[in-house]
Amino acid sequence: MLRKAITAFGLGAVMGMALASPVLAADAPAEIKLGTLYASSGRYASISMPVHAGLKLWVEQKNAEGGVYVKAFDKKIPIKLVAYDDQSNTATASTLYNQLITQDKVDLFVADSGSVLTAPAVTIARDHKMFLFDQTGTGGSFFSKDNPYIALMSDPVSTIWPKPIADFLTKDGPALGIKRVAILYSTNEFTGTQANSLRKFIKDANAPIEIVYDQGVPTETTNYTVILNNIRAAKPDAVIHLGYAPNDIAFLRNVQDVGIKFNMLFCIYPGLETELLEKNVGAKGLQHVFTYVPPSEMAYPVNFGMNIADYKKAWDKKYADGKIEFGFNAVAGYTTALVIEKTLSVATSLDQMELRKAVFSLSGNLKTLDGTFALDETGGQIGELTPLGQLELNDHGHIKFVAIYPHEVATGKPVYPKP
Amino acid sequence: MLAYPLIAGVLFGLYFSLLGIGLNLVFGVMRIVNLAHGDFLMLGAFVAFGVFYLLGLDPLLAVPLAFVLFVIVGIVLYGLLVPRLQQSRDPEMLSIILFFGLSQVIEALVTIAFGTSERSIPSRELGSLMTAAAKALGAKPEGGPVDILGQSFPAAWVISAVVSVIAIGLVYVYLYRTRLGTLTRAVMSRRDEAFATGINVDRVCAAAFGIGLGLAAIAGVFAPFMFGSVTPAFGADATVTAFVIVVLGSLGNPLGTALGGIVYGICYMLVQTFLSSWADLLPYVLLIVVLLLRPSGLLGRKVRVA
Repeated sequence: MLRKAITAFGLGAVMGMALASPVLAADAPAEIKLGTLYASSGRYASISMPVHAGLKLWVEQKNAEGGVYVKAFDKKIPIKLVAYDDQSNTATASTLYNQLITQDKVDLFVADSGSVLTAPAVTIARDHKMFLFDQTGTGGSFFSKDNPYIALMSDPVSTIWPKPIADFLTKDGPALGIKRVAILYSTNEFTGTQANSLRKFIKDANAPIEIVYDQGVPTETTNYTVILNNIRAAKPDAVIHLGYAPNDIAFLRNVQDVGIKFNMLFCIYPGLETELLEKNVGAKGLQHVFTYVPPSEMAYPVNFGMNIADYKKAWDKKYADGKIEFGFNAVAGYTTALVIEKTLSVATSLDQMELRKAVFSLSGNLKTLDGTFALDETGGQIGELTPLGQLELNDHGHIKFVAIYPHEVATGKPVYPKP
Repeated sequence: MLAYPLIAGVLFGLYFSLLGIGLNLVFGVMRIVNLAHGDFLMLGAFVAFGVFYLLGLDPLLAVPLAFVLFVIVGIVLYGLLVPRLQQSRDPEMLSIILFFGLSQVIEALVTIAFGTSERSIPSRELGSLMTAAAKALGAKPEGGPVDILGQSFPAAWVISAVVSVIAIGLVYVYLYRTRLGTLTRAVMSRRDEAFATGINVDRVCAAAFGIGLGLAAIAGVFAPFMFGSVTPAFGADATVTAFVIVVLGSLGNPLGTALGGIVYGICYMLVQTFLSSWADLLPYVLLIVVLLLRPSGLLGRKVRVA
């Protein structure tokens, strides 16, 4: 009797454990479908293709190793990358995002690069209750407490990007003689949010800083000569230009062409896509420009994935033709991939809310080549911060970064005013 | 405050005229809408990249090269596409679809060949040959911006404005001082009658198509200097801008495009000065205003009939 009871209990326990376990290894899918978009043409191609190339590099690397470890099935499973070209068009992107979810039934839903092409994915992900791996869509409005279906992977939310600029202007600026600031921004989610935050940070600091010029221009703007003339008329000590890479190229070229010299000039992309900007503006045109310092210059210690030096080597090997520049966005794509890999290694199922839980469990613990991955409660990235730096030329005339602010990461003093 | 945008508007407007004149010539002669116009402009920019980065020469030398090259391309392309198109029931409408497809193909091929990134040429390199020649003759040319009425403008703007004026002047000479131009105007005015009088309409149209593409390519040579950089996707925006300028001046009247370009340039610079956030709405607002108030364009019927 006792033996029967023990046997029955044992069998029951084994069956119970089997039923409690989410999925048996035998039920594991042949592949994990990762759905994303990229822009091979159009305005956002230059920021989208490097991100996509970084993601693709990881997929190929992992598949060559037999796939990624998926805890839910306790085995390595190959990744199938389902990627469509949205051609930088938000309407096309909307259709394709829907297709990824409803037709392709992807397991992992990853947005295209940049806030403009991420925006349609945010709504669609929420409607379909799919968790969105937001690569570089930093727009502040994407993140709210009532939307659990998003987290920002690879760069900080736009609202905190300009904090080092504002702190530098308000804390170090007055002593340097910076009193009048001009803000010019492209009217899109990424740079518009940064402009709003910068304005707020400066006002809240109560420092003797006056904003003497504050204008938005369409993101499609390719000519700034007249605008530069207006900015010059406002006599600013510092000019903060917030735009995408093509905006920065046109802006900095126009600054050179018209022969205007601003004592301090900040642009976003000389730091983020230095190769691209140097190719188009020239090293001299970037000299003394203030910018964000990218992770490639900070060489963050990693506890997962390749470090920046190894990643650069792998990148150069795979993309030897040089058609896609290595920069901030190339790092961003690979960072997204690392977060996904780590997520799959801790998530107990592929349920979307379980994926979210797994992503949030990495916050503060995951250290990649992009810095420390840290999320706030809304899914906004608050780690991976970008310090303020300045571009200088070394003895060979090549661009080098000098970190300026915060002081604890500074590698030099600012050159102000521009000689 | 007003002087700068007005002068900038005229300089940039002259370039805009060059941007649109080829499109208008093709429409005026053949009544087909070349939606790949901007893509030929983009290809012109790539000719300039080749001249500068591969041959190490002044990008200004790309102007004659691009023109000749794309006149030939235009004549060949005309032979391949347009006669079949003209035989269809509605060539004007079908041309939109055909050239939209061509635009997509060109963009895709250039993307495959050169990648998607922005490309440009250092501004100081434009006209470097002239600077070197002036130095050799003992002059001391100053680089950098050019002063006009006490305001400084990029040298590239002035050079492109001068080339645009020359190109528009040559189009005028072609249309009004050559036999082929007279035949071209005859075809523009009454295609059927021109055909009935024995004019080789196909030859005239092929020449006009080639010249139209050649002018687009010349505009493309200056695009990296005027717009900061060029990508393979540059063509679509350029076509829209060119189309607005053409409608503004007068659809079918190439010389009206010159005025359309200057008006567009001045409006654009004024909007950038006083309402910068709204600048990208300008083409569409101008298009609506012109179509409502003067559908034939600023230089409409009067010049066309003459």
